[in-house]
Amino acid sequence: MKSEGLPTVFIVDDDSDMREAITDLVESAGLRAESFATGEEFLGKQRPSNPSCLVLDVRLPEMSGLDFQRQLADTNIQIPIIFITAHGDIPMSVRALKSGAVEFLTKPFRDQDLLDAIH
Amino acid sequence: MIDHADNATEERPPLGAELRVALNLIPAHTWYANPSGALTFVNERGSDYLGLPKDHPLRFGINTAAGGDSLISFLHPADQEETSTVWSTCLHIGGVGQMSFRVRSAEGEYCWFLSSVEPVRASDGTLLYWIGINLKIEDPMQAESSLSDGDRLATPPLSQLMYGDLKESKARLEEAQRVAHVGYWVWNLDTDRVTWSDETYRIFGLRPQESPIDLATVREMIHPEDRESVFRTAEEAIRNGVRPDSEHRLILPSGEVRTVHSLGAVKRDASGRAYEMFGTVQDITDRKRTEEALQRTQFYLSEGQRLAHMGSWAFNAAGHYWSDELYKIYGLDPNNGAPTVEQYLALVHPQDRASIAETIKRMLEEHCGFDQIERIVRPDGQLRYVRAVAVPVVEQGVFKGFVGTTMDVTEQELLTQELRREKAYLAEAQSLTHIGSWAANFHTRQNFHLSDEVYRLHGFEPNQGPLALERFWDTLHPEDEPIVRATLENAIRTRTDYDIREFRVCRPDGSVRFLRTIGHHNRTGELGEYVGITMDITERKRAEEERERLRQLEADLAHINRVNMMGELAAALAHEIKQPIAASITSASACLRWLARDPPDLERARSAATRIERHGNRAADVMNRLRSFYKKGTPPEREMLKVADIVQEITVLLRKETVRYAITIHSNIDADLPDILADRVQLQQVFMNLMLNAIEAMKLNGGELTISSRLNSEGQVIVSISDTGVGLPMESTEKIFEAFQTTKPQGTGMGLAITRSILESHGGRVWATRNQDAGATFHFTLPVEAEAQA
Repeated sequence: MKSEGLPTVFIVDDDSDMREAITDLVESAGLRAESFATGEEFLGKQRPSNPSCLVLDVRLPEMSGLDFQRQLADTNIQIPIIFITAHGDIPMSVRALKSGAVEFLTKPFRDQDLLDAIH
Repeated sequence: MIDHADNATEERPPLGAELRVALNLIPAHTWYANPSGALTFVNERGSDYLGLPKDHPLRFGINTAAGGDSLISFLHPADQEETSTVWSTCLHIGGVGQMSFRVRSAEGEYCWFLSSVEPVRASDGTLLYWIGINLKIEDPMQAESSLSDGDRLATPPLSQLMYGDLKESKARLEEAQRVAHVGYWVWNLDTDRVTWSDETYRIFGLRPQESPIDLATVREMIHPEDRESVFRTAEEAIRNGVRPDSEHRLILPSGEVRTVHSLGAVKRDASGRAYEMFGTVQDITDRKRTEEALQRTQFYLSEGQRLAHMGSWAFNAAGHYWSDELYKIYGLDPNNGAPTVEQYLALVHPQDRASIAETIKRMLEEHCGFDQIERIVRPDGQLRYVRAVAVPVVEQGVFKGFVGTTMDVTEQELLTQELRREKAYLAEAQSLTHIGSWAANFHTRQNFHLSDEVYRLHGFEPNQGPLALERFWDTLHPEDEPIVRATLENAIRTRTDYDIREFRVCRPDGSVRFLRTIGHHNRTGELGEYVGITMDITERKRAEEERERLRQLEADLAHINRVNMMGELAAALAHEIKQPIAASITSASACLRWLARDPPDLERARSAATRIERHGNRAADVMNRLRSFYKKGTPPEREMLKVADIVQEITVLLRKETVRYAITIHSNIDADLPDILADRVQLQQVFMNLMLNAIEAMKLNGGELTISSRLNSEGQVIVSISDTGVGLPMESTEKIFEAFQTTKPQGTGMGLAITRSILESHGGRVWATRNQDAGATFHFTLPVEAEAQA
């Protein structure tokens, strides 16, 4: 099922249920998925050069999603980011999109919305 | 007594020594004259009065061969002619005579005498000599009255000339004795027999008799306490020749006690042996009584002064007199006499000295009296207060001096000062505490006592003088006057105490104060008589209001806190629930995608479905945690509670809201309702939520909030909270108890959910109904104690 050429969707969410559910959804769409509980874990992983994107939960235990986004930009890691949140508000989403986020989705979100964003 | 010597010889004079002594003892002038009327003897008293030389022959009864008118020469010129006529008539006819005339004394003064004369004859009728007795009298009128009416009627035209026999003359002598209360006595020392004159008998309370009486009888009649001294005096007289002179008491047969003065002389024979004692006795009881009465009066006066600590004084031309008590008051020695003004001022307390000096100066210059209290320092250093009063004495318009009294008022003054001090303390205490005292009769509208503080409480100045009760009444606030009046009238009618806990007065300066007044009916007194206190409770009331305001604020804050807590709890819950729901939706999407594959990936679909189940359970767990928050989050402390108490507490807490929104709360709790076993705080929260809901529903137009409670048919306590507000907007009354259901913009929608949760944890349930007219009613049940414990 898995192949090296397939684009990979990276998922960072501290909620394991949410992580599993998104991973399964991405895989059901025929994509590769890799999930992490924290941003640190994601950075420690050797990333392939093929097309990929990052599904990032705004609220993370150690570092917020927005701070993580800035850190990625600072370290020159170019990757499209899709934010998901359980209690997002407009100022937060504006800030995220201004910083280069592809999409800002509020949980619970429709499956197609996420998959559209990934594609 | 005149001794009739029947066997007397013609050569009688000169008189025997012993007879002379006897005659000398008679307290009257006695004289002898020869048949031709010439004086031959004048007794000692008579001779002394006339001023005869001590060696004059008349004193010794030696015949001086004086002329028949030798007696006349001693008389007042105006009386000489008449007396001479009477005397020569007596001599001529040889009869008894009596008249009054004035006799010149040695000093040349004239005194009136009543004179009686009678002839002494031998057994053959030959006139031997004349014997006369002159009794001193005040004036002729007295001499007249000393004669009986019969005597005067018998007086012939030659008025002073009278005839009679010896017996008649003797009677007159006795009469004179009676007038002078003087009697004679002769004590025969050989026989111890005593011969008395008639007056002596009368003095002893006996009927006159001729025969002598026994000495023992006389002895018996002398007062037992005086008996010994009387006879001792007599014995000494016999032994030493001292003239017996004694004052003693007699006990009359009637039991009466009289005092007599007795004088005597002892007769001795040639050998010097005493054979007779002769004397006079005079009744001095009346004089004695007068003396005693005077002494008693003086004693009472001085004793009265001593008891009253009051002395008296007089200051006039005759000198300066101080009573004994006055000396005692000032601690001075009476022997030194009354003090001078300077000495007196030295006794006055230095602080009073100047004013007293001024007073005395004015008194002496202007002749005015004074009445003042001053301090004196006695020589022994003691400080005393004295009240001195002086009154000028004016007789017929002429100033004569001063009389006055001085009273030691130290005790009264100290008491007065003490009272004054205590009154000041009381006034100070009343002023500090703003409590006034009073006593009045509201029925007769008299006041007996109004302390200064009462005046001030009603806004009056105490120094402005007394005010009528009506003035105090007039300060009552018009809104409070009817209730004060009704309370008072009821108390007066029923004769009971009253306590008007709060009423207002409008002071004349416009300020309004809150007072409380307590009156106690004076049961021993008249109708409407009360004593009591009035106190200013304005400050206390303001403090209470402030406390109440703070308490309300606290309650409001607690209320807000509770609401905030609910909000946060809801937000936290929302996040907790969102996660599993989001996860299950995503998993469901994935599941559907696995099934939509061709061929469907059943394995992955099943796996996704399993996760959905897990997510769902997780969401349910979150909801369960909310319910269990009350079950195990804080272990409830259950206690026996009265529904009425909780309602009362919450009613107080919500007072501000109910007032603000014009909502009236009615409490209709069954008095026999059993206690319930519940957690106080949670039950409070239930009432708070339901009552707040009701208030919320009536915010716009106000209304009535009714709380009723009773026991239902299942033996449970059922509480109904009813409002007249906007009513229930939901279609289903059940739905409102679900979490997050709210019609209020600021509500969390948790209030009723929590309420239901609490009630269910207590084994009860809650529901809502729509009212017939307006508003809604929330009901809940709680099991009574027994069931709750079961």
